[in-house]
Amino acid sequence: MKFDPKKLRKTVLDMAYAGSTVHIGCAFSIIELLSVLYKNHLRYPNNDPFNKDRDYFLLSKGHGVMAQYACMRELGWLCDDDFLNYFSNGSDLKGLSDSRIPGIEVTSGSLGHGFSVGAGLAMGAKLHKTGQKTYVLVGDGEINEGPIWEGALFAAHHELDNFMVIVDENGFQAMGSTRDIMELGSIQSKFESFGFDAITVDGHDEMAINKAIIGLWKGNKKTPKALIAKTVKGKGVDFMEHDNSWHYTRLNQESYKQAILSINGGNT
Amino acid sequence: MRSALSDALVSLGKKNPNILLLTGDHGYALFDDFRRECPKQYINAGIAEQNMVGVAAGLARSGFRPIVYGLSAFIPIRVLEQIKLDVAHDHLPIIFIGDGAGFVYSHLGTSHQSTEDIACSRSIPNLSVYSPADRFELTQCLTMAYKDNSAVYLRIGKADRGDVHQSLPNIKSGRLIKVKTAKKIKYSFIATGSMVRTAIDVADKLHDIDVWSAPFIKPIDRSMVEKICHNSEAVVVFEEHSKFGGLGSLIAEIASESSPVKILYVAVNNRFSQKCGTYEYLLQEHGLDFSTVYKKVCNFLKSM
Repeated sequence: MKFDPKKLRKTVLDMAYAGSTVHIGCAFSIIELLSVLYKNHLRYPNNDPFNKDRDYFLLSKGHGVMAQYACMRELGWLCDDDFLNYFSNGSDLKGLSDSRIPGIEVTSGSLGHGFSVGAGLAMGAKLHKTGQKTYVLVGDGEINEGPIWEGALFAAHHELDNFMVIVDENGFQAMGSTRDIMELGSIQSKFESFGFDAITVDGHDEMAINKAIIGLWKGNKKTPKALIAKTVKGKGVDFMEHDNSWHYTRLNQESYKQAILSINGGNT
Repeated sequence: MRSALSDALVSLGKKNPNILLLTGDHGYALFDDFRRECPKQYINAGIAEQNMVGVAAGLARSGFRPIVYGLSAFIPIRVLEQIKLDVAHDHLPIIFIGDGAGFVYSHLGTSHQSTEDIACSRSIPNLSVYSPADRFELTQCLTMAYKDNSAVYLRIGKADRGDVHQSLPNIKSGRLIKVKTAKKIKYSFIATGSMVRTAIDVADKLHDIDVWSAPFIKPIDRSMVEKICHNSEAVVVFEEHSKFGGLGSLIAEIASESSPVKILYVAVNNRFSQKCGTYEYLLQEHGLDFSTVYKKVCNFLKSM
């Protein structure tokens, strides 16, 4: 089955181990979200990442890019060598998303950019009446950034009903919990107060995510959409879940083996 | 110069319906004609410059040709990272107009003054930087920026210092334009934007000086600059911008590689404005008024 979350997580682990890199936890929290989007919603005619009629998916939280790479492998846009050689000198795939990779729409890592670019794409699609949809995935830590809220005002004012922001609410940012660093309160209420149709779901329940996305698109005309996904940072590997150190920890041979075992359902 | 800007925008807007003019709630009255002639191509994106540039990037990706307008204190300074990552990185064709550069907003203080924008913008790859001196250069620069089909920062400074050209000059990308020719060249003045007028006025009182206007900061015709430096005993560079990283630095970078020459920088020193006053008053405060500049240049040339 394409976009199987277990397989996607294994790909991320293989990649992180091969490249001896970080940001595993924030890739794992968005696996089911990406799986549902790529499987059921994003339209890429002829499986072409440049197709002019495609829907737009912008990973604004570029730190989770390994999850997107894993999906792009399923689509055949990346090959095994890209993963085996991750982070090797002269390779293309970086630790944060780069728009020069086919299938990645924006360069991210500096946070708070993708929302506005997505709003521009959505506005362009409306002006051209193309029917394309735009999805922007942001992190809950990322919404500390001011331009997100500038963009929220803009999207609502211009009635961008082809625009959906998905918030990965995993409760953590780089240095700790969002509660300790910058309390976010109710993200759903915040977007609702800005004029969005918003709903909160379990971000690891594929059926619930799918239903919520369909429901949002069927909702009010003239309002942008917000899907707030309650997620677990490090989801899928028992010793990584809720442990923010996996934002910065690298795998060694032992932890890599244990992580694979955990994904396969074994106790570690 | 402002009516030339309005006319040029209207002309572009009518020529291409994919041109969208975005403003960060600035440009009072400036866009009346554009709004009347091209009402569907005008977007006031609110006081939210960072979002405006991101939105412009999305629109450019959708096939539109955005022109983003703001004061140069905000466009490009406040949104430098959006220009770098969302626009220049991907070669998107967006024209950024930064108005009121230098000390135009003399009474409003440091927040609205901009003397670091050239230095910041010219180090961004894929971003051109134009700095016209009068309405003729402005019209040409805007037309060329449109034809470039890439990211351009167009710096507009003090707009009412009078023309330095009699008619539309024959501008080629990167070239400097001679605005005063000496019978015998001893020294050369190179100036940009509002300071071209000052450079001409100073040269009028002296002898053997060629004066060049540099509407293109980036790209600039290096061989032309090398030749000017090579043929001069000394060069004076004039700009209403910090002496760090602006036109003076650019000329020195080029000269030092192939045509070393003594250079005097008539530019803004490492300081913010201290007081409130007219544009002329602030020029005096920064030592950029005519009489201070004239004395400074005379002393420099005497020392040669």
